[in-house]
Amino acid sequence: MPKSRQALLVKRKNLSSWLLSLPTMLWLLLFFLIPYLIVIIYSFLSPDIYDVKFEFSLDAYRQIFSGDYLRPFLLSFKLAIYTTLLCLILGFPVAYYIARASEKLKNTLLIFIIIPFWTNLIIRIFSWRIFLSYKGVMNDVLLKLGLIHAPLEVMRTDLAVILVMVYVYLPYMILPLYSVLEKLDFTLLNAAMDLGANEVKAFFRITLPLAVEGIFAGTLLVFIPALGAYLIPQLVGNQSSLYIGQVITYKIKNIPRNWPMASALSLTLLFLVALLLLLMYALYRRRLAHRYKS
Amino acid sequence: MSTTTPRIYKGLNLTIFSLVMVFLYIPILILIIFSFNDSRIITGWQGFTTKYYVQLFNNPTIATAFRNTMLIAGLSTLISTSLGVMAALALENTKFKARKGFLALIYTPLVIPDILMGVSLALLFNFTRVNTGMVTVLIAHVTFCISYTVIVIQSRLEGFDYSLVEAAQDLGAKPHYIFWKIKFPLMLPGIIAAALLAFTLSIDDFIITFFTSGRGFDTLPIYVEGTIRRGTITTINALSTLMIAFTLFLVVVTKRIRKIIISAL
Amino acid sequence: MEDIVLKNLSKDFGTFRAVDDVNLTIKSGELFSFLGPSGCGKTTLLRMIAGFEVPTTGRVYLGNKDLSDLPPYKREVNTIFQNYSLFPHMTVYDNVAFGLRVKKTAKAEIKDLVKEMLNLVKMEDQANKYPNQISGGQKQRIAIARALINKPKVLLLDEPLAALDLKLRQHMLIELMNIHDAVGITFIYVTHDQGEAMSISDRLAVMNQGKIAQEGPPDDIYERPTSIFSAYFIGETNLISGEVKELHEDHLKLSCQDGEGKTFEIDSSFQLAPEAGAHLTLSLRPEKIAISRNKPRSQHDINILKGQIEDILYLGSHTQYIVRVGKLKFRVFSQHKRVYFDDKALDWEEQVWLFWHYTDTWIINDNPFDVLADAELDENGNLKRYIKRSKT
Repeated sequence: MPKSRQALLVKRKNLSSWLLSLPTMLWLLLFFLIPYLIVIIYSFLSPDIYDVKFEFSLDAYRQIFSGDYLRPFLLSFKLAIYTTLLCLILGFPVAYYIARASEKLKNTLLIFIIIPFWTNLIIRIFSWRIFLSYKGVMNDVLLKLGLIHAPLEVMRTDLAVILVMVYVYLPYMILPLYSVLEKLDFTLLNAAMDLGANEVKAFFRITLPLAVEGIFAGTLLVFIPALGAYLIPQLVGNQSSLYIGQVITYKIKNIPRNWPMASALSLTLLFLVALLLLLMYALYRRRLAHRYKS
Repeated sequence: MSTTTPRIYKGLNLTIFSLVMVFLYIPILILIIFSFNDSRIITGWQGFTTKYYVQLFNNPTIATAFRNTMLIAGLSTLISTSLGVMAALALENTKFKARKGFLALIYTPLVIPDILMGVSLALLFNFTRVNTGMVTVLIAHVTFCISYTVIVIQSRLEGFDYSLVEAAQDLGAKPHYIFWKIKFPLMLPGIIAAALLAFTLSIDDFIITFFTSGRGFDTLPIYVEGTIRRGTITTINALSTLMIAFTLFLVVVTKRIRKIIISAL
Repeated sequence: MEDIVLKNLSKDFGTFRAVDDVNLTIKSGELFSFLGPSGCGKTTLLRMIAGFEVPTTGRVYLGNKDLSDLPPYKREVNTIFQNYSLFPHMTVYDNVAFGLRVKKTAKAEIKDLVKEMLNLVKMEDQANKYPNQISGGQKQRIAIARALINKPKVLLLDEPLAALDLKLRQHMLIELMNIHDAVGITFIYVTHDQGEAMSISDRLAVMNQGKIAQEGPPDDIYERPTSIFSAYFIGETNLISGEVKELHEDHLKLSCQDGEGKTFEIDSSFQLAPEAGAHLTLSLRPEKIAISRNKPRSQHDINILKGQIEDILYLGSHTQYIVRVGKLKFRVFSQHKRVYFDDKALDWEEQVWLFWHYTDTWIINDNPFDVLADAELDENGNLKRYIKRSKT
C-alpha cells in the first residue's frame, strides 16, 4: 500500500527525532531547569554561615521588597542601558562600514572585529587597568603630551566600568547589525533620495527601519549579560558602588554566606529579565505587524 | 557604488570604524608590549626582557591551569558539539511534535544572564552534595555551550539544499551512505564553526566556572583572576601574547578556517 | 519494451490535488515532454516517476515492473535536477563516479566509465574542478554525465535549462537531442517553455491543473489543439465563436457577431461534423492570417474580413497587428517579405483586409468559459475577449 509507506516514513522520522533530541533534552532538564527549582527552594530557606538551614523563611524576599537592594539593581540597569546605547551608537557605523565594503575587504574587517574575542577576557580587562590606572599608559602619554597637568583618575570609577563594558560587548552588537545591513538593498537609498528624501531622512526612513531586527538582536546580546555583569565591575569598578552581579556573587562566595538571599536576588533578576524580554517581544511583534500591514 | 552612500556618511563611518578598531586593539597592544617589559609592577616601561616567557614555561601552577582549561574546553566542545549535531538533525524534521518546546528549551539559556546559570548550578551541586571539581566544571561548560552549538549547526542545516540528498538517492545511494558521504561533509563547516565557538566560550568562561569549581581545580581564567588580585601578571601577559600569536597564525595563515568562521556568522 | 506506464496516477498534498488521475504511456526510447504552467503538476508527476513522491493512488510501471513502492535508489531511473544538484564538496570526477561507487564498482572500471562519460559531454579536461569553478552550462553537462553513467532506462529532466541564458539554452537543447540520439534511452523532459518542448520532443503532453490537457506530437498539438488551454499555451491564437448555419461536405458556414450588431460569416473545415445550429469555437493562429490594405480577389476557399488596425508591434522577425472587426480583436503576425507586402507599411487606424484559407481554422471541442476564467460574454452570447496572452 503506497499510503502506508508514506505513513511509515513519517513515523520513522519522528522516532529518530525523539532519539536524537533526547540526550540534549535530558541534559538541559537536569542541569538547566532543575537547578532553577533548587534556586526557588533555597530562596525560601534560612541562611547559615557556610550553608543553608532547611527552615522556611521569607526574610530574603522581605528584604528585597523593603528596598534594601534597590541601589545595586538600579546601578545594573543604568550600566546595561548605557552600555547598550553606546554599543549601538558606535556599532552601527562600524557595521554599516563593513557591510558596504568590497566583498574581499569585508571578510578581513570582520575577522579584525572577532580577533579580540579570542584573547582571554580577564586579560583584556586587565590590560585596560594598565592603560587607565593612575600611573598607567594613558596618563603617561597625556602628561608627556602636555594635554593634562595632573593624572586623570579613571580607574575604579563607574566610567571605567562603562568603558570596559562597551569594549567587551561591542562585537556582540556589531555582528548582528552587520548581518542585517549586509542583506540590505542599498539601491533603496538611491530610490529614496531620487524621490526627494535627503540623506538624514533616507537614513531614518529606510536604513534604520530595515535594520530593526539586527538592533533587537544586538540589544538582546548586550543588555542581558550587562545586567548580570560581575567580572568587569569587580576588576575596574569601585567597591562603594556594587552592581547586582557582585552582590549575588558575594552572598554565595563570601563568609558569612547567605544563599537564600542570593537565590531570591537571582530570581528577582530573572523575573526582571523575563519582563524585559516580554516587553521587547511585544514591541518587536508590533513593529512587524505594522510593517506587514502597510 | 559611491552614489549609494552619501559622502558625509562614508567619512563619518570610516572615522568611527577606525576609532573603534583602535579601541578594540589598545588592550591587546598593551598586553603584548608589557609581556616584554622588565618590571615587576605593571606600570612604566623598564626595558626589554623575555624572562617572563622563560618563567612561563617553568611555572607548574600555570601549566596545570592551562592543562585544566584545555581539558575542560576539549571535552565540553566534544560533548556539546555531538549533542548539537544530534539535536540539529532532530530539529530538521519540521513535523516533530516536540520541536517548538525543544527550541524554546534551547534558546532560553541564551537570554538569561550567565551569572544565574552559575548560581543555579552552584546550588544544585550544594543541594546534591556533589564534590565540586573537574566533573562539575565540565557539566557546567557543556550546559552553557549546548545552546550555541545547536543553533550554529541548525542554522547551517536550514540552508541545506535537500535536492542534493535526492540526487544521491536518485544515483542509488542508501540513507546511511548519503548521510556520511553527502550530508555530514556538507554539515562539517557548521560543525567546525560550532566547535570553535564552544571551545572559545569554554576557555574564556570565568563566572560559571567560578561558581562550579572547587578548591584545587583552577582553569586559566580562575588562576588569572587570582593572580590579578595579588598583582603579578607579567607571566600571564606572556602567555596571552603566545595565545594571540597562535590564533592570529590560525586565522591569517589558514584561509579555510577564516572561511568557516565567516560563514558561521 | 520497457515503456513507462502511468495508471490512474494521483497525488494529493493535503487538500490540494497536484496530479489528478493521469493515464499515460511513454514509449521506450522516446523523448517525451510535459509542458505546462507552474503549479500544473508536471514536476510532481516527474518526482513520482523518480520515486521522491509516493503516489496517493495509482501505479507507475517500467515495462512490466511496478515501481510504485520502490525507493528512488532502487529504480533504474535517473534525474537531472533543475539546479543540477552537483555535490559541492566533490570534484567533477567524483560527482560523475558517485553512482558507480555506491554500487562498489571496481576502481579501474570506474575510471574508464567516467572518462567515457566526460568525453560524451565534452568535459574531459575539467575532471578535477569543483562545481563552483565551472559555468552553468558545464554544470549541466556534468549532471547529465552523472546520471547517464548509471545506465538508467529512463532519464528524467526537470526544467534542466531554466537556469541558463537564452543563447546557451538553445545550444544545450541541440546538445541534449544529440545525447538522446547517442544513448537511445527514454528521456522525460519537464518544462514550462513551449519553444523548448516543441523543438525537442518526439511527443509531448500539455498539462493543466493536474490533468493532461492534450498529448501528441508537437505539430499535432500546435495545428490541432483539442482545448482552448492547449491552443493558448502553445503559441498564440485567435478564438472565434459562432453558430453553425450551413453544413457542407467539406466545410461549414459559421455565423458570427461582431459585437456592434453586425453579423459576418466564416467558412471552416471541420474534423467531426457538428450539428446544424450548434455553437462552436474556432482557433485561428495569427500567422495564418494575411493582411493587406488592398481587398484581395474573392475566392470560394478564402475568408475575407474588413477591419481597422488598432495596434502595431514591431518584433524583428515579424510584426504583430491588432485588428478590430467590430468589437472583436484579431491578432495577426506578418513577416517582412516585400513580395507579399504592400509597398508602403501599414499604419495605425488604417482600414485593412484580413484573409485566410478556410482549412486554417480548427474547431475546439471544449467550452471556452470552462477554461478561461476571465472570459467574458457579450450580449449575443459570443466570446468578447479574443486576445489573451499565453502564460510564460
